[in-house]
Amino acid sequence: MDLPIYYSRAEYIETDTGNKVSRRATISGPQNIILGGKTIIASGAIIRGDLRRTGPGHAVVISLGRYCLIGEGCVMRPPYKTYRGNFNYYPMKIGDHVHIGANSIVEAATIGNHVEIGKNCIIGKFTIIKDCAKIADNTVIPPNTVVPALALFAGSPGRFVEDLPESTPEMVEAQTKQYYTRFQPLPTER
Amino acid sequence: MAPKIEYYCPCLAESPHPPPPHLPSSSYSFHPLHNLFFCEECDAVRCNRCVLLEVSGYYCPNCLFEVPSASVRAEKNRCARNCFMCPNCRNTLTVVPSDPPDNGDMRTSAVVTTALGEPPFFLYCNHCRWDSAEVDITFEKPTGLAAQLQKFEDSAPESLEFERLKEHFEPFLRASSSSALPSATPAHHVHANPITAAASSALARDIPGVGKYNPLARSRIGRDKHAHRHELPDYKARVEIASAAALSGEADVEFLKHLESIEEVASLEQRWTNSWATSLRESDLKPLRIPLQSKKSKRCPSCRHILIKPEQKAQSVRFKIKLVAANYLPAIAVTLPHAQAALEMMKRSSTLGKSTSAAAAAEEQQAAGALIPGHSYPFHLAFTNPLYDPIQIRLAKAVPQGEIVDAEKARRSTFHIQLPSAAFPVAAYAEAWEYDDDEEDMFGLDDDGMEVDARGKKSKDGRGKSRSVGIVERRANVTVVSGEVLIPKDARGEVKFNMLVSYTYRSDDPETVDDAEAGTPSRSQATSRAPEMKNFSFYTVVDLGTIAHREETRLSVEP
Repeated sequence: MDLPIYYSRAEYIETDTGNKVSRRATISGPQNIILGGKTIIASGAIIRGDLRRTGPGHAVVISLGRYCLIGEGCVMRPPYKTYRGNFNYYPMKIGDHVHIGANSIVEAATIGNHVEIGKNCIIGKFTIIKDCAKIADNTVIPPNTVVPALALFAGSPGRFVEDLPESTPEMVEAQTKQYYTRFQPLPTER
Repeated sequence: MAPKIEYYCPCLAESPHPPPPHLPSSSYSFHPLHNLFFCEECDAVRCNRCVLLEVSGYYCPNCLFEVPSASVRAEKNRCARNCFMCPNCRNTLTVVPSDPPDNGDMRTSAVVTTALGEPPFFLYCNHCRWDSAEVDITFEKPTGLAAQLQKFEDSAPESLEFERLKEHFEPFLRASSSSALPSATPAHHVHANPITAAASSALARDIPGVGKYNPLARSRIGRDKHAHRHELPDYKARVEIASAAALSGEADVEFLKHLESIEEVASLEQRWTNSWATSLRESDLKPLRIPLQSKKSKRCPSCRHILIKPEQKAQSVRFKIKLVAANYLPAIAVTLPHAQAALEMMKRSSTLGKSTSAAAAAEEQQAAGALIPGHSYPFHLAFTNPLYDPIQIRLAKAVPQGEIVDAEKARRSTFHIQLPSAAFPVAAYAEAWEYDDDEEDMFGLDDDGMEVDARGKKSKDGRGKSRSVGIVERRANVTVVSGEVLIPKDARGEVKFNMLVSYTYRSDDPETVDDAEAGTPSRSQATSRAPEMKNFSFYTVVDLGTIAHREETRLSVEP
């Protein structure tokens, strides 16, 4: 029903698990980034996997679930703070079916499943976004905010606006899956 | 502007027919499908306006603590832990320790700092940099701050006065409860606002004698009150009204005279939640304890069956009972193929390197989807069947009934809608289709369906695909049909019409037939016994967009 969203085959790398990552995205420290599969990282996105916790051993900095979308020009940066006099970065965990609109900056600690974040948002450090929440376009969520489940937040600073319908999980799931199937290479290049 | 479709809930009207869609008030009767519920007992659509709300649990939206309902009242519906709202910008405040004493050596002091930090602690806003030290609120330890603050709140003269008032009226309420309660029991008024319903049920539970909100019974209660008023002793206020007035008045004038910037005056919104006699000064605002939120269960207004019952856990998004309309009614998506084609063209050209600014692109998009007078356009309706049984759908353009017909005739007939008149099938939903889309005839097409399909194809051949009124496409549990809208030369306004969708579904067992949770019926069962058919119809409003003006017509034709 809906029209496909075409991309040029040369621009995107597709992994075995169906992740599609733009070559024009800046992925720092890829060894510290986990993509769940069927996740799209659009061009111009910046994902800072290199900002890892100090200390020895392997550390996951940013983990994304399945059917996520990191929009064009997004910045994903792990949150940091000075705790007991030590400066440190903390991991960022993002669930399944999370869409992040273009040009948003995300420094959240946790983002649940089925979360929609609009365009041009700023998600402050250590923000916790629970399942099925929605952040409207152009919202600024200050650091340490908690966004409860099934809540719509908007404004600057982001505030609770309304409860989302009970069928939000199904809707968002269908939407994100549909987006992934619509996201196709341009047929003329086949 | 994309065309859209909304579903009708008849709760606001006396008749089951929807209001004419061009009336501005009609928008209150139409809802997106995913906002609606479905009552199996009444076999009817319910919306957020008509369902009865019940609070099933309270929680703090910041610390997510589930507050037992017993303590909700004592804590005045606000979080009693460490959650505060900035009085300035409503952001949540964080507890921060004071800066460690500066002994000149930054490095050593940083190491010494413990997790707890140095007292006194104060509240700090990450967004607008307000802090509670400005209003002389500091704490010796960083825990249980709300309890410390609530002591101040409770000892405020206003809240003490309110407590006394409550005490004063309690005997009256108790005495009148016996007479008021019978009037509270009659069936809930259908048009009652869900908020009043929730509030009144909460009130009825918390305060004996306050009946559920019932507009019909109100007059009678009023009379009862008159009867009881004589028995009440006079209430003597502890706070002198003169002193309350002195609080504002001249002092305020003085303050306003020396105002340097408008920000010094606290806005109405900032003072809203406090009592009536707060200071005007922005610098006097106190941190607010965060109001609790609730999880609600929803009931059908007529049969009182539960439609929504959330799980106990506050942050769970699962529901024990969830009867949403999306599981019962076919989902409909509207598209205008000519607009889509135009969009497609634009995308191609932009990917080929023709760069246009975002604003220009948006403008072009709008022009591409424009409905130009004097033309006719096809539109597609895609029906998705959520049921595990195939359904037959019949469409009809709904004509508004009653005396308004003639008066509105002139406006309504600014455009003509043609819908497929024959019933068409939509195949059953099956999980397998989530993964595999091309096994079209898995369930065996109904002969009826074939006939219509052939018809659709015929018209396709005859008049070209875009012109047909009939079935365009069938795949999985989706059927796309095409209609046509003809816009006369002098037409203007919005192309918006009511559409009656009726569908029949097979039911072998009337009890569970429309239950989406029921298993897929096996093929043998479906063919061996003559299936009992059930019918359900609902109204929708289809909004195809606004008819373009002449000036815009030029623009959209030229490129």
